Amino acid sequence: MTKLPVTEIPSRSTSAARATSATKIYGTGDSEVRALDGIDVAFERGKFTAIMGPSGSGKSTLMHCVAGLDSLTSGAVYIGDTDLSKLNDKALTQLRRDKVGFVFQAFNLIPTLTAYENIVLPLTLGKQKGDQAWIDLVIDTINLRDRLEHRPSELSGGQQQRVAIARALASRPEIIFADEPTGNLDSKTGTEVLQFMRRAVSDLGQTIVMVTHEATAASYADRIVFLADGKVAGEMFSPTAQKVLDYLKNLGD
Amino acid sequence: MLLLALKMTWARKGRLVLTSLAIILGTGFLSGTFVFRDTINQTFDRLFSDVFRDVDAYVRSTSFIELNFGGEQRAGTPISALETVRNVEGVVSATGDIQAFARVIGKDGKPLGSEGNGPPTFGGVASSESAGLWSVVEGRLPNGSRELMLDQATAVKGGFVIGDNVRVVAARGPREFTLVGVASYGDISSPGGATFALFDQQTASEFLLEPGFVDAFLVEGDDSVSDEILAERIDAALADNLKLETLTGAEITAEVQGQIKDVLNIFSTFLIIFSYIALGIGSFVIYNVFSITAAQRQRENALLRAIGASRRQVSRSLLVEGALMGILGSLLGFAVGIGLSQVLNALLKATGFEVPTAGLAVKSGSFVNTLVAGISVTVLAAWLPARRAGRVPPLAALRDTALDTAGNLRRRVVIGLALVAVGFAGLVAAINDAPIQVLGLGVLGVFAGILVIGPAIARPIALTLGRPVAALRGVSGMMARQNSARNPKRTSRTAAPVLLGVALVTAFTALAVSIRSEIRDTFGAAFSGDFALTVDSQGFGGIPLSVTDQIGSLAGVEQATGVGFTTVRIIDPNDTPADPTATARGNFVQTINPATIGGLFDLGVTEGDLSALGRDGLIVENKRAAERGWKVGTKLQLVRIDGAVIDARIRGLMSGDTSFANFVASREMFADAPTPIFDSFVYIKAKEGAPLDEVRSRIAAISSDAGIGALQSKEEFIDDQAAQINQVLGLIYGLLGLSIIIAIVGIVITLLLSVFERRREIGLLRAVGMTRAQVRSTVRWESVITSLFGAVTGVALGIVMGFVVVAALADQGDIAFQLPVTGTIWIVVISFVLGVVAAIYPAWRATKVNVVEAISTT
Repeated sequence: MTKLPVTEIPSRSTSAARATSATKIYGTGDSEVRALDGIDVAFERGKFTAIMGPSGSGKSTLMHCVAGLDSLTSGAVYIGDTDLSKLNDKALTQLRRDKVGFVFQAFNLIPTLTAYENIVLPLTLGKQKGDQAWIDLVIDTINLRDRLEHRPSELSGGQQQRVAIARALASRPEIIFADEPTGNLDSKTGTEVLQFMRRAVSDLGQTIVMVTHEATAASYADRIVFLADGKVAGEMFSPTAQKVLDYLKNLGD
Repeated sequence: MLLLALKMTWARKGRLVLTSLAIILGTGFLSGTFVFRDTINQTFDRLFSDVFRDVDAYVRSTSFIELNFGGEQRAGTPISALETVRNVEGVVSATGDIQAFARVIGKDGKPLGSEGNGPPTFGGVASSESAGLWSVVEGRLPNGSRELMLDQATAVKGGFVIGDNVRVVAARGPREFTLVGVASYGDISSPGGATFALFDQQTASEFLLEPGFVDAFLVEGDDSVSDEILAERIDAALADNLKLETLTGAEITAEVQGQIKDVLNIFSTFLIIFSYIALGIGSFVIYNVFSITAAQRQRENALLRAIGASRRQVSRSLLVEGALMGILGSLLGFAVGIGLSQVLNALLKATGFEVPTAGLAVKSGSFVNTLVAGISVTVLAAWLPARRAGRVPPLAALRDTALDTAGNLRRRVVIGLALVAVGFAGLVAAINDAPIQVLGLGVLGVFAGILVIGPAIARPIALTLGRPVAALRGVSGMMARQNSARNPKRTSRTAAPVLLGVALVTAFTALAVSIRSEIRDTFGAAFSGDFALTVDSQGFGGIPLSVTDQIGSLAGVEQATGVGFTTVRIIDPNDTPADPTATARGNFVQTINPATIGGLFDLGVTEGDLSALGRDGLIVENKRAAERGWKVGTKLQLVRIDGAVIDARIRGLMSGDTSFANFVASREMFADAPTPIFDSFVYIKAKEGAPLDEVRSRIAAISSDAGIGALQSKEEFIDDQAAQINQVLGLIYGLLGLSIIIAIVGIVITLLLSVFERRREIGLLRAVGMTRAQVRSTVRWESVITSLFGAVTGVALGIVMGFVVVAALADQGDIAFQLPVTGTIWIVVISFVLGVVAAIYPAWRATKVNVVEAISTT
């Protein structure tokens, strides 16, 4: 069994987000579930990180907690230099709006808003204009300029996910979290979306953390963090789909 | 499948409660009024059995007239017959009883008891005979023409103590008495908040009625024979020509109980009609909730269909759920109603109408009625959504969100407009003398049509109304605008209670405003005097005629004339049967003084002449005369309350626009009647060049000396007459209030269901940075737009309805349509507030949506 070495936690300046001794416990007594069991992890700025693990390993919980959607039982989470546990709901909401981008597996867009309105939604919510040149660049990169006035119901699944990614990018956030963004897509459309995410990191210099259970999807990342039973089980740099599959096979042995 | 339906219902307890809320509200009003009515009736039954406990026989005149507005007026009984009754074997005591108009003047010079629609003010007899209804609480019985006794409640209210001087106004004008005693009626201080001034028999007879008469005799027996035999003996002893009859104690008790019930029933019937309307409007809320929940459960129903449930089974399971909610809601509603009846009681007490209530009367009939009404309304409201649920294609199980299609919009508009057109035709027909049911059907048709069109117009109107909201409230406003337009059916159904209430109110306000300006014009033209003295108690008491004459002879007064009201029976000898006793139904007659009315008040006589009225003349309203084929010169028989038959002749016809009754007679016709007549209005014209202020204060001195009447200038009087229509408006505003309560509940329920349905969306919005305040704002503005949609369509519909009604009325008399501007502004403001209030709880719930749970749901 090959165990990959765990790297040092990067210093503050290089990590876009990190968690220290992150513990999340659901329920009490006999029904107690340790979704996160003292995890230490950091997500490097300007990199594409994937989180993998079997279901129940805590990967979604980790993402929700680091993104400020859920709170830890103990431990700390930072976005940039901000300690999320110190923030009230209003400040947390503002942080999500200004510093964090989200892409979910499904139901990413507000059905009553047009594609463009959905893209600039975080900016509108914060009553900001945003950087129009950047927004134009993002829109051109996702190649959806001709569909901006359409409602989500008039877009294909792949187009919807691309709009969601554009929304996540629009406010140029510190970090973008993507939860199984290709889970609902066929492989061709999924590839398109993944390629686009890769370009957002390589060409536009964004930071993305993606939760996935597909080896192919994870292979687009710079680094993969493997979780099991609420703990970090290992990591892998410059992955390929084959390497990931091999690792997962070993993990299962 | 039945078991499954029950299980599925139970699994959604939260929604069960929500739907039931609408049913609880509707049935609560209903059972509340039922219980309230029964409680009051029961209390009065007990009260009168107690009061008439010692009365074994009751002697009264056989001559009476049924009044138009319920009740009866009976001729007096001569005191001379009292000795005869006392001498009948088995009679222990007998005493005269009077219940006539008398108003007690308070220490501040103002009459006690409210003017107008308040409880009546009575004068009566306090007697040492044990059969008297009153028992002395303090002091002693009055004796002689200078003493009186008051009921306990009035004494307390007026701050009178024994030894005080008390002014009382009655048929013979104002007089002053010394208070010597305080009495109670049975075991309560005053029945129904009425005031009583009590005198000895002779004083009461002379001051309140006609000397030598009382209303009836109260007789107590020695219990040696049954009440029936006693009554027969008294009847036998009384001479036939006295026209008297004797009732047993049980009979008169039952009759009085029945009379009070009749009066109370007018009130409670009105409340019950309101409650049924409330339940009807509430059924929209129930229907809406079922529609929404059925749409939200489309996947579940489709799954059932996919695994082999028939359409029928799916529909039936929804109907079972509806029936269960109906039972649950009605049961809870009944319980709520019992509480509500106490609130009604407290409200009445607060407005000064003291209804003695002892205990609660919860009858099985009310229970059954409430349950039947509640369950049938609920099952009916669940019918369409249940059928629609059955038609769900099994494939819909794979679809994501609740679908709510508005169907074929064009077909909706066509069918809706057709219904509206039929409805308006009904309205116009009803105004042109079609039966009243046609009016109801017309209104129903218009509303049904609008409700069919509703979903077709909800989207564009909501988007238009939302435009300024979106512009002013940023992203929350934009989302609210889109949300209110996304389910046009839901929006239009949610707004339906607002629409119905607002449309009715606007139509009636438009009508009232138009009629008001019409009244103002006619009265302004008819009344050429300077002042009017008015008393707001048509038909019972008022300004003694002596006061009117006194005003007429004041220095500086050119002319003063009084107008009063009484009831007679009018018989057309050509009718069959011509027997004067065939019907006791009375006719309302306006009494005038033909000698003084000329040049002061124009009755709008179109044919004949007032000066020819004489003692036996009548003036009849044109329309009534035409209906009966009467002309000037037609001979009619007129039966007064005392039974006197007068051969009358029609001396003129009038337009009826400025008279308060269909018949006008001279006050001379009643000069020798034992029941006195009063004036309700005195019209006054000052002498040319006399200083108006001085004249006014002279008249005021007389009216305040008499302690009766409100002195108004011509302008004030005309305003006051025009304001009469406001009483009708008051009822309509009550209806608006009711529909507002239901509308709030309806909007709250719909918003809660929408919030539940959109929890993923809300979670997503929260995730990408929407603050709680912004979430609240979104829900609030959606609510406001929905409510305003109801208000705007309601106002538009109401104005059209009002216009059609006024236009149709204009064919008959000429009234011009007036736009109710202030009313409309108020309605819009109220709907705005309504939207904000209704959104409070759902908005709070929306902020409680758990972000992680919401976005993890797949």
